Amino acid sequence: MSIQAVIATNRFGLGAKPNEHKQAKKAPKAWLINQLNATPAVYFDDDLPTSDEIAEQLAKLRLFKKSLNKKNANGSASLVSKADQDKLKKLQKYPRNVYQSLSSDTLIQAIQSNNSLNWRLLDFFSNHFSVTAQGQIMTALAPTLEREAIAPHLLGSFEEMLLAVTKHPAMLIYLNNEKSFGPASKLGKKGKGLNENLAREILELHTLGVNGGYSQQDVTELAKGITGWSVANFTKEKSIAFTYIGKGHEPNTRKILGTMFKNDGIKQGENMLKFLAHHPATAEHICFKLARHFIADEPPKSLVEKMVKRWKLSKGKIKDVVIEMINADESWSETSLKFKSPREFVVSTFRGVGQKSLKPKQVLNALTVLGQKPFNAGSPAGYSDYQQDWNGASAIMSRIELSAQYAARRKPNAEKVLMNTLSDSVSELTYNSVIRAESRQQAFTLLLMSPEFQRR
Amino acid sequence: MKRRHFIKTIGASLVLFQGTALASKAKALKGSQANTKKIVWVVLRGGLDSLHTIVPTFEADLVKLRPSLYKSVKDKLLPLDNGFAFNPALKHLHTWYKNKELIPVVAVGSGYKRRSHFDGQDFLESGLTKINEDSGWLARALKHKNKKALAVSRSTPVSLRGSDNTSTWYPSSLKDADDDVYAALGKLYAEDALLSSRLKEGLNIQDMAGSAVSEKRKGKFIDLTKACAQLLKNNNTIDCAMLELGGWDTHNNQDVRLKKQLTELDNGLESLKEGLGETWKDTIVIVATEFGRTAKENGTGGTDHGTASNMFIAGGSVKGGKVLGDWPGLSESQLFEQRDLMPTSNSFSWIASVLGEQWGLSADQLNDVFPAEFIKRKPTIKIVV
Repeated sequence: MSIQAVIATNRFGLGAKPNEHKQAKKAPKAWLINQLNATPAVYFDDDLPTSDEIAEQLAKLRLFKKSLNKKNANGSASLVSKADQDKLKKLQKYPRNVYQSLSSDTLIQAIQSNNSLNWRLLDFFSNHFSVTAQGQIMTALAPTLEREAIAPHLLGSFEEMLLAVTKHPAMLIYLNNEKSFGPASKLGKKGKGLNENLAREILELHTLGVNGGYSQQDVTELAKGITGWSVANFTKEKSIAFTYIGKGHEPNTRKILGTMFKNDGIKQGENMLKFLAHHPATAEHICFKLARHFIADEPPKSLVEKMVKRWKLSKGKIKDVVIEMINADESWSETSLKFKSPREFVVSTFRGVGQKSLKPKQVLNALTVLGQKPFNAGSPAGYSDYQQDWNGASAIMSRIELSAQYAARRKPNAEKVLMNTLSDSVSELTYNSVIRAESRQQAFTLLLMSPEFQRR
Repeated sequence: MKRRHFIKTIGASLVLFQGTALASKAKALKGSQANTKKIVWVVLRGGLDSLHTIVPTFEADLVKLRPSLYKSVKDKLLPLDNGFAFNPALKHLHTWYKNKELIPVVAVGSGYKRRSHFDGQDFLESGLTKINEDSGWLARALKHKNKKALAVSRSTPVSLRGSDNTSTWYPSSLKDADDDVYAALGKLYAEDALLSSRLKEGLNIQDMAGSAVSEKRKGKFIDLTKACAQLLKNNNTIDCAMLELGGWDTHNNQDVRLKKQLTELDNGLESLKEGLGETWKDTIVIVATEFGRTAKENGTGGTDHGTASNMFIAGGSVKGGKVLGDWPGLSESQLFEQRDLMPTSNSFSWIASVLGEQWGLSADQLNDVFPAEFIKRKPTIKIVV
């Protein structure tokens, strides 16, 4: 079934690489489900630094700046020496550089992977738990969240993913929990206080959803339950790992959505998160979001119901829920109901061409000009997953400009790429436009900008 | 093929800003007041802390509620009337205020009371009691007067959804494709309504922006306001523009962050005014945010999500120079749910006044744009001179 293979590679995967369409054609569903058996589900370039290694470099920068300030204050060096200036410059470049290497690694791995379904899931959860690269620390740390907290649990239990994400330094710092302490705790009595940012977004975005039935009281209670959830002092400890500061934890029993959680130190917050992970509203919220991401802005109710049922039966096992979605007839409508996001468009283009060597900047720039720079949503809600947020006139014009630029540089064989990616599923008009284009360059631009390639 | 000619040939049923014919007609109308009244709608995303923006210095509770935040601006505030004062970052807006071109409105809220950014923004943009992401209040207002709008954005924001008289423009650092590519795409999209209308729209705007916006910029707020001013000034067919500025969610380190944000807003709005030149006197700018923030500062030098905030209404012909809106007070019993500034008027009642005075929407038309409960209590003061 050719059309089924096109759906498998485009709607569920990130577009076919050369030869993938042929492989998927034999048994599209099995081809997809088989990807979920890969271990690990996704892998990264493990030469790239971890959050702790990044923290060490950030500490160097901070300490060096401090020493320069001290020198200046003492008047011993009114002018910073050339050597010191160079050293400072180099250290200051580090956050941007590491951001580029890590976020482009994800893209390049996704482009080359045989398991693009898994990478699509990684993108989904990375956007579900969106963090933004702003300021030196978050610029460097934001891209470590998906590698360290999401990927290991990608096809496992949502409960474990939620705990790992909430304890990851990128999330704790991004949503200001690392300095949130109970007003009645020892630190609270010394003037430290509560910050409810992370707690609110856990309820609204990460678990129950905005209509999940929680109140302001529940937000405050959860915020108190996770007081003291902080990170190591990276300038002293060469680490920025999760650290529980007991003397900053708000004492007493707390109540969320009518359920009591006794004060048990760190376990109080953990139990709250486990409770939220298994709450029915969470199952509905995340299954709906998954179906909306993969299938349609307004996914069929019956599909979401099947997924929710599977979620509850499997206690939130992501792999089982995804298999349920793949096996559902509702997911295989022959009409493409989603317009590709910039990320999907760029990744599927490079996959379609089968481009071997990719420069990090090339991929990142493409996403930047199309408005979906990695870790730059600027809000914990992440980038929109509604197609109307990506298919405005201005967005389409940028895609045309980018496609034309790429086609002019590379001049790939459009007919071959068309056969590899969309095969015989395209309209006669598209096929003829590509085949009869006035140049190779124009043919490839038309293919990328065709109604079929823009959708999935 | 020349771009203009090409647009004409594929644009038999142009969605918007129809080709050169209409443009020259608009030129002929230049000077007539009839269709030159413009509105610029600016959404601040993230929840602006009004108490740190328009500071009520007369409030004895302020020092207690916000020991560090108040201290950080106390000595540099820019005075307004009745004991209110601007954050020192709002230099240009302060000058506007003194020149009677700016109305700060305190203690306003959209009617949304649940403290989620994303729902709050959709609420402010859809302007309905129940959020409808496909219908924006500005789009509904456009329809009544057959006005046309441009969103400085990659895609249509909720405020402008539901109208065919809307387009989007955003600066691009990329080079335009060759004209024959657009022509070929025009043919390729013959069977695709969405893409063909987007292409036509895009080419039209590109054509207008091409002469108006000299340089391709990166999209900082000040670049966007400059370009927006040029587009509004040079195209009589655009009656309205929408801009957005994010970054207001100041849960920590608020003093430094708001200083930066307010400076960006202040400079951006000043370049909008500068760029509009003569058109400024026919323009009204409305600035609003989805909600305000807690009256009390939190444990990390910031504030958490709240309820009422403030708005700005500005322009060459507004009756400015006074802080409007009833002040609810800051004592615990005066706060909403004992934590947030209490809204005393609805944002949409102010917006409705602007729509009525600037575009001449009748009471019936306003009742079609907004639910009655939002606008039944109208501001008693005229906004335009």
